[in-house]
Amino acid sequence: MKILVIEDDKTVGEYVRRGLDEAGYHVDLVGDGDEGLRRASGKVGGGGYDMMVLDLRLPRMSGIDVLRTLRDRGVGLPVLVLTAQDSVDFKVQALRMGADDYVTKPFAFEELLARVEALGRRPKSISPPTLKVSGLVLDTGSREVTRDGKRIELTPKEYAVLEYLMRHQGRVMSRTLITEYAWDYHFDPGTNIVDVVITRLRKKIDQAKEPKLIHTVRGVGYVVRT
Amino acid sequence: MESIRGRLTLWYATALILSIAVFAVVLYVARRSDTYQDLDRRIQSEADLTAGILAESYRARGTLVENDTAGRPQLTPDVAAVLEVVPDYLLVTSRDGRLLFASPDARALTFGEFEQLNAITRPPPLADSHTPGRYGIRPNGPTLHYIVRAAPHAGDQFGAIFAGADTRSAELRLEQLLLTIVIAFFVGVVPAILVGGWLAGRALEPVDRMITEVREITDGRSLHRRLAVPMARDELSRLAETVNQMMTRLERSFAALRRFTADASHELKTPLTVVRAGVERAITRPGVAPETLAPLEETLQEVNRMTELLDSLLTLARADEGRADLHREPVDLREIIEEAGETGELLAEHAGVGIDIRLPPQPLVVPVDRSRLRQLALNLIENAVKYTPRGGQVSVELAGDNGRAVFTVADTGIGIAPGDLPHVFDRFWRADSARTRTSERAGTGLGLAICKWIAEAHGGTIEVQSRPGRGTTFTVGLPRTETTAS
Repeated sequence: MKILVIEDDKTVGEYVRRGLDEAGYHVDLVGDGDEGLRRASGKVGGGGYDMMVLDLRLPRMSGIDVLRTLRDRGVGLPVLVLTAQDSVDFKVQALRMGADDYVTKPFAFEELLARVEALGRRPKSISPPTLKVSGLVLDTGSREVTRDGKRIELTPKEYAVLEYLMRHQGRVMSRTLITEYAWDYHFDPGTNIVDVVITRLRKKIDQAKEPKLIHTVRGVGYVVRT
Repeated sequence: MESIRGRLTLWYATALILSIAVFAVVLYVARRSDTYQDLDRRIQSEADLTAGILAESYRARGTLVENDTAGRPQLTPDVAAVLEVVPDYLLVTSRDGRLLFASPDARALTFGEFEQLNAITRPPPLADSHTPGRYGIRPNGPTLHYIVRAAPHAGDQFGAIFAGADTRSAELRLEQLLLTIVIAFFVGVVPAILVGGWLAGRALEPVDRMITEVREITDGRSLHRRLAVPMARDELSRLAETVNQMMTRLERSFAALRRFTADASHELKTPLTVVRAGVERAITRPGVAPETLAPLEETLQEVNRMTELLDSLLTLARADEGRADLHREPVDLREIIEEAGETGELLAEHAGVGIDIRLPPQPLVVPVDRSRLRQLALNLIENAVKYTPRGGQVSVELAGDNGRAVFTVADTGIGIAPGDLPHVFDRFWRADSARTRTSERAGTGLGLAICKWIAEAHGGTIEVQSRPGRGTTFTVGLPRTETTAS
């Protein structure tokens, strides 16, 4: 899957490019609207993109103009807009101009990736994956969780935290990242609410079971692994 | 008086009444003295006329006194007939004090009254002297002005001439004058005050119009409006121009704020994105040592805090401009409160606080901005848990009330001092540090300001009741049909 990223800030652009690259996408990064438009229309670099990630504030030609020109030319490429403007009318304007979705800066990469995946979802990947760690199984479609075949009832937040940890099994996820995923980054409870959820999850998943699957990394966060 | 119009009318009326009153008093006093002077002149001339007639008659016939049938001296009848036409009270006495003549008016008096007058003529005055005086005939009789004089050149028989007139007619005229003044006063002053009030109102009408016009300029969107400047080059047109100039400056600073809002979004958020990107990449890389992870985690947390603060500031800046930055759709509020409630349960569990959440059995669909409402609910619940000591209780309730959805968060926490209560929705306001548990970081100080904005942008209300040591209750009321904040 080929993605064109148009972003004038090099660090942000590079971050998006590498992140998407690691997630298995082929990414081209350009720094201005003119160049991006030429590439998207296939006049330079061969074209053939499946998706575009577009920053709205660009030198020479604004993201909105790129979008309008693209749609005027009848290019139906899915477009994910990056914007620092979080006002609703601005987002509505972008969507009216033909954007398919937007992410507000600063964004968690997880969120960008989720939206890219959603936009680029092809029919064959519609059936959602099942996550497994040892005897613990999480079905992201039915949102059902079982351990050793026995059903475990989880509240929505417990499910969200567990899903996030299982998606990144074997990797230490920090409390902040977990909070961002299960709530959103606007929510800053000031207490380690994640700890409470983990305590509950342990009771339901690890109590009187071996091996223990949820592990604490002191001062940082949690990891799910065998 | 609350209005300039009322004050102007009052001053005008006072000035008018005072000047008319001074005028009336001066007029009355002058007329009064004139009237009495007239009266005195009249009796003077009556006395002089009598003296003249007597002198004339004496020169013509010598003797003027004769005895009547009873042997009493009296004025010769033909001379008496001449004096008969003199009005008022006229007495002529002989040198030895006997009455020689009395005019018809004097004869009409009672004997007692008559004797009082007669007594004044004794002893007879010296030749050529005039003795004016005033005399009240008792009891309850009229007051007389009189004059007593001698009758020279009329032989040696005459003692005194007494001429007097009562003041009744003069007083009657003065009473009539007074009545006229009083009637004229009311007939003149009342309409004058009414007209004065009307004129003041008319003169101030442009001010009322300006007040209405300025009042209609409520926020950033209506700042382009200007007041109509009156044609006349008077104080009001200068006032309108001054207000217009002020609004131009205001509009410019609002425009600058809008530009800043847009710029700040980009100029501050892009670097934050960069910091975030770096930290996030580092933190999610497999195999990072925990001691490296901890500071990265703290950095990430600070980035989020800054982002949140920036978002709040920008939201409030836009709210000041009057832009209701909402994306409304019909939502069952139970979903939002239930979700926020779960978070509340987690927070309460951590803080050792009991929590109960009551939702209505039926869906409560209200057109709201879902994420803003979630923010509002989370903020209030989080605050309630934060300020409730271990063992306390937080109650969250959602209810449909005719035409309104009412969301209540009540706690049994430390409460808010009455003096602080009016400020809880102010930006960057915090109660003294005692309100915050030392173990926790204080928030941005914008949370409740944002809550207030969210409630009001939905056309709703937010209220707080609190008793120190007993607890606090926040009540949010939202209209169930879409209305925008005024």
